[in-house]
Amino acid sequence: MEEESMAQEFFILDVLLWTSLYLIVTLSLNIEYGYAGIPNFGRALAVLMGAIAAGGIVNRILIAIFGVEGNIIEASGGLKSVVNPMIAQNPLFGLAILALSLVIAALIGAITGALFILPSAKLKQDYLAITLLAISEVIFMVSNYNTAIIGGYYGVSVPDILAWLPGEQRFLAFTVISLFVAILVYFFVERLLTSPYGRLLKAMRENEDVVEAFGKNIMTIRIKTVAIGSAVAATAGALYSFYSVNVIATTFNRVEWTFFPFLMLLLGGMGNNRGVVLGVFSFVLAKLFLTVYKFEIKTLLHLPFEATWLEYILFGIAMLLILYYRPEGILREKPVMTPPVKQALREREKPQS
Amino acid sequence: MAVIEGALVYSNLLALLSIGLTITYITTGVPNFAQGTMAVFGSYVSLTLWLLFGVHPYHTIPVSFILGGILGIAIYTVVLRPMIQKEAMIVILMIATLAVDLILLGALGAYSETLGVISGKGTRKFIFTPMDFKILGADAILVISSLAILMLLFTLFLLLYKTKFGIALRASMENPALAEIMGVNVEYTRIFSWFLSGSLAAVAGTLLPFRQEIVPATGAIIIVSIFAASIVGGLSSIYGALAGGYIIGMSESMVTFYLSKVIGPYILVYSKVISLIVLIIALIVAPSGIAGLEIWRKRVWRKSSSS
Repeated sequence: MEEESMAQEFFILDVLLWTSLYLIVTLSLNIEYGYAGIPNFGRALAVLMGAIAAGGIVNRILIAIFGVEGNIIEASGGLKSVVNPMIAQNPLFGLAILALSLVIAALIGAITGALFILPSAKLKQDYLAITLLAISEVIFMVSNYNTAIIGGYYGVSVPDILAWLPGEQRFLAFTVISLFVAILVYFFVERLLTSPYGRLLKAMRENEDVVEAFGKNIMTIRIKTVAIGSAVAATAGALYSFYSVNVIATTFNRVEWTFFPFLMLLLGGMGNNRGVVLGVFSFVLAKLFLTVYKFEIKTLLHLPFEATWLEYILFGIAMLLILYYRPEGILREKPVMTPPVKQALREREKPQS
Repeated sequence: MAVIEGALVYSNLLALLSIGLTITYITTGVPNFAQGTMAVFGSYVSLTLWLLFGVHPYHTIPVSFILGGILGIAIYTVVLRPMIQKEAMIVILMIATLAVDLILLGALGAYSETLGVISGKGTRKFIFTPMDFKILGADAILVISSLAILMLLFTLFLLLYKTKFGIALRASMENPALAEIMGVNVEYTRIFSWFLSGSLAAVAGTLLPFRQEIVPATGAIIIVSIFAASIVGGLSSIYGALAGGYIIGMSESMVTFYLSKVIGPYILVYSKVISLIVLIIALIVAPSGIAGLEIWRKRVWRKSSSS
């Protein structure tokens, strides 16, 4: 009985943690694709940049400060044994590391995002999607093979920023922190997109020529938008690294951090942040359900293979069904009710009454 | 010499894949993100026949040609055609091919483990190189992959320029709306292009294990090179795709080889970086690919005006 409630608690925390991580990434995609119509098929790159900020940059800063010897893989292990006891003594130190990492993640996310979108100056939408996917895939391969950046497929350790908490409470505390960051991101994105800037993005999505005719530079808007989107997505990468206390490049693959966010965005409804929350929550629930009952599914159906493959097939089919039957998602996009729009609607209703 | 041979084999296979990608792009307007995994499908067809019935991979080419073609038609008729009929946007269609890629990956992964259980051998990773033999001093794979390309070009030439169906096909590639008015069934040409694309990918997949190790996720790695080759070729003509395949294939293998001599062998795993650099240079210098370069247009114009 005790064990069962523990398992339930664990499941709920897992759902909340993954909802917050995926919410951040999917909201960032909503800015870029949902609002601005930029088909960013290389979302995973920004998340990887966040992990590089935590495992590659902040780790190196700390290694230099504490003078740990060895290459990045060994030194990060050594660093952990130096820094974790210090965090256990002083919780604020841990939070400072997290805050620094999030800021650096957002910064390099924004820089890579701005550079990454430059090919869009010359390309049609489909060429752009291919190019972004190719760039993201190649950088993923390089950081996977090259063990000098973030340890590649061996991975590096990162300090446990909650080393002062015992194991089971650590998970709870980390979930609270992630939820807090996700909620902050939600309100930031909501404010950003209900501002005139958000409507400018929608206008660009619908017709670039009109926006250009009104004297706006499309390229500047694109660079700004992808920089903001990538900065947001990168924070999720950093958070995830501190949650799992290590960074392995292999985890930042295209399926988990580009395809799944697109699936959640289209499921919930693009151009609509409440829809995104709904989409992310339903997807995470389904995904974790499959993960938890992986073994049961395998034995019950007598599968001669790992249930992960089944997960790929199911989510692929789910995507096709959404695209065919409900491409606008669960919640439809609604027009933004600005004061002038409200007034115009009121005036339209007047003569009828 | 072995390096050039290997580079040629790789270029041949890349040309098969990028020609397939280009023809479906011409007829349906969708860049197919599943092209790489469609090739891996062919690899597994051959692996199955080899493990269970002892058929040499070279003899499985006809089977994988046909099964690959059926897979191509299935992707088009089951997934893409219904969406095109609903006038889905291009990005939606691209996401649909990404979803197809994921489904295929899952199916191949599940299948490879099942095959492992049935045959009692390790099937997660495999390579056919030990089964290769020599023809006139060269590796058979070089001869066979070159023959595959030559046969393909010859058949395509006959089909496109010497038959009625070929004329209809070219017409509906140039201008689908006009071809339809003239009584050409554009749907047939689309189905044909997906059949050809799938079968070429599967044949390339049958030959690919003679050059590199195959895992279910290999498709996700080679797709970068396929797209690079097709974009360098301009995504608008078969000859462009052919040239693109050789440009990317040769530069990827040769440049990495020479760099590895200068810098060190660890550089070999970064071969895809070369593809990406060539792709980006091509996009900057010639956004419509080598098939869209001015020189060709002028020649075509002169030819038509002089006649």
